[in-house]
Amino acid sequence: MPVLSGAVTFARFRAEPASGRSDPKRWLSRGLARKAFQPLEVRKAEADRSAGFVELEDHDAVAFAVGAVFQGEHALFSWRVDTLRVLASAVKAELDKWATAFAAEQGRPPAKREKAQRKDEVRQFLRQRATPTSRTFDVSWNLATGEVAVWAASRKLVEEVAAEMEEAFAVKLAPASASAGAVRAGIPEEALAPTPALFGDFGGRGEVARGKA
Amino acid sequence: MARRDQARAEAAFLRGDTGVDGAATDLDQRDAAEVERGKAREQLLRGRTWLGRELLTWLLWRSEGGDPVAEVDGTGVVVLFTDRVVLRGVTGDVTELGARGPEAPYAPEVRRALDVGLLVHQARLQFQHGEKEYLATLDAEFLDVRAAKLPDLMSEEEDDRAAERLWLAEQLGRFVDALTAAFLEERRGRGWTKTVAAMKKWMAP
Repeated sequence: MPVLSGAVTFARFRAEPASGRSDPKRWLSRGLARKAFQPLEVRKAEADRSAGFVELEDHDAVAFAVGAVFQGEHALFSWRVDTLRVLASAVKAELDKWATAFAAEQGRPPAKREKAQRKDEVRQFLRQRATPTSRTFDVSWNLATGEVAVWAASRKLVEEVAAEMEEAFAVKLAPASASAGAVRAGIPEEALAPTPALFGDFGGRGEVARGKA
Repeated sequence: MARRDQARAEAAFLRGDTGVDGAATDLDQRDAAEVERGKAREQLLRGRTWLGRELLTWLLWRSEGGDPVAEVDGTGVVVLFTDRVVLRGVTGDVTELGARGPEAPYAPEVRRALDVGLLVHQARLQFQHGEKEYLATLDAEFLDVRAAKLPDLMSEEEDDRAAERLWLAEQLGRFVDALTAAFLEERRGRGWTKTVAAMKKWMAP
């Protein structure tokens, strides 16, 4: 659990409003429950990934009791991602074995359609035997300052967690980038263009100024 | 020629990668350079990354003197670039340049690269705040904190240690915010032109 020990790598956001609810603990627990983790159902063919919030110290718990989530002015919880992966090499090996047996039995190699049909069956069979891999990423939220940290290195994952939090808690998470800082400081758009003397000419300031925060 | 090789050669010809003699065309080389510059440009524009690069470059320049660059809780934050630095640009043949070594970020080679428009995109920084020392890698696009080293924890109880660790991590964030605010304050002011002139002079001594 990186929040408690291990690598200190995190992306920062500012929640707006910081919490702003009359009963922040209840509101937060409800938000977490709304997006709580649900285990993958191996028998259902359509889902190979499941993600949701779990308690920080018990990654199977989704009760979100006050004592398990709140520590001082912080709310601490984790984002759990389970994925079920069937290796392409395993499917190919099973398929090759079947094709050899088929050719010996029928006296001809399997047709494309037969092979495709068998491939789906093999994949489904291997999927039911596969064990999901589980990863968790911690989130700390200072309810007094509105500072949110997602303790993960992957930007894709950080953005996924931020988007889910925005939906679950009905807040806006602004990144802690220089650009967002400039917007917060009320610096007008036209004053944010790159400094030509530092970058040199690369196609005009107007075009660059269209970049968004 | 095997059928598969022949099909590959035809496909390369149809894409314009090779000429009738099978040799690579000049167009291919030019395209690769343009594609690379296009990517570099896209990276710069995404989320106004240029502001982050200007910030880290300004910080490199400001930090060389060893004076505090900003204040947090009434105590100065002294910054020192250490070990490694990654520069990125959008013009010329080089779009990314990495330098590694104890004094690498302040080395003349890095400064010359800055002078031609490659600005700091990622760096390892040391923050000194009072008696506490922090280390972290920052990137220009999001100012994410990576592989940070926090000061030693003083608490003994497990709960207190967790709270202290969170507090130290947040302090690191506050340093970054304070430095960003100091940079934006200077950048929006009338003195920015003079600052840039001083930075350029420092880059090309």
